[in-house]
Amino acid sequence: MAKNNLHQTFHEIIEQHKGLLFKVARTYCGNEEDRQDLIQEIRIQIWKSLPKYDANFAMTTWLYRISINVAISFYRKYSIRRQYAIAETLPPVIDQLPNDLQEKFNLLEKFIAELNEMDKALIMLYLEDKSHLEISEIMGISVSNVGTKMGRIKEKLKKRFLNHKEN
Amino acid sequence: MNDTDLKYLWQTGNEQIAISQKSDKTSLDKLTKRNVSHFLSSMKPIKIFTLLVGLLWVFSIGYVLIKLTINAYDQVSLYFIYSAYFQVMLTAVAVILYIIQLSTLYSIDFNKPVVILQKTLIKLKASTLNITKILILQLPFWTTFYWNESMFKNGTLPLFILQGAVTISFTYLSLWLFFHLKFENADKWWFKLLLQGKEWEPLITSIDILNDMEEEVGSDKD
Repeated sequence: MAKNNLHQTFHEIIEQHKGLLFKVARTYCGNEEDRQDLIQEIRIQIWKSLPKYDANFAMTTWLYRISINVAISFYRKYSIRRQYAIAETLPPVIDQLPNDLQEKFNLLEKFIAELNEMDKALIMLYLEDKSHLEISEIMGISVSNVGTKMGRIKEKLKKRFLNHKEN
Repeated sequence: MNDTDLKYLWQTGNEQIAISQKSDKTSLDKLTKRNVSHFLSSMKPIKIFTLLVGLLWVFSIGYVLIKLTINAYDQVSLYFIYSAYFQVMLTAVAVILYIIQLSTLYSIDFNKPVVILQKTLIKLKASTLNITKILILQLPFWTTFYWNESMFKNGTLPLFILQGAVTISFTYLSLWLFFHLKFENADKWWFKLLLQGKEWEPLITSIDILNDMEEEVGSDKD
């Protein structure tokens, strides 16, 4: 791929999938500064990996692999900051939603923030409506294992919602 | 709350987030510069300093030793020269492993399935432990380089006992640590005692994550 083409492709990918990058960053980072840093890190890795993109994989599979890999590595590197991030409440970015929906969305993000790195990725992909096969390709675990783990994580989230309601 | 509700909640919330997102127009030039500065900033001064000191040590002491071997082999203590050779060789191996580790870390391809890449990354970072083990093997040679023939001819029994005890205990300690400093022992008190401090924190965290991942892959085999 010629360099100019590569530049153009890169910008198109970033523009088209900015939501994906932001969702990964928001899943892994509790504060705005970290989130912006992480998004830039992901962009760097996408740029570096672009010449090696294998068209046999869907673009989103490729982007999720890179984004999640960078997010997990990024947070391992800043493990001390991560502890604060988990404790923080993610700032609400939405004010167009009805109050009860906004509250539930904030709770969902909070409960996801409490999960470990792998479970965060799994539930995010599931909520993004990815099939078990796609999730297994992104994560590198078997389809049956995806199903088992997903059941466990969903149960955990439902319990958290239930406990919150009761309290 | 059922599965459909969870998905609806996530997707509705994120639609609003996507709308509120501005396009990031950071140019590729800025990104590339940032990449370089990121690489340099992650090379903490202490790491650069350690690497430079290691290289300087290997080259300068290595040079002196080769000169001594060529020009004054019969005039210097063999205990000194061989202890120093082993010490420098082990340092050289550690420096080479360190350079390989750093260069591999920064050239790794992030386009790999998450569990596989993360395991590779963590194992690579954990190879710091191997470098430490190589350096620990130097311990006995720090107790033999000052030996000389006159010490053996004129020494007293208490001196031999003391010297022998020091060398044997350092040899035992270095070999014991060489074989026991590994992931499986990360929860042992002596491991935590030896590897406490901020420099080792990411490694300890990595070991925990790796154990989680071993479970992920492990359950694949069930």
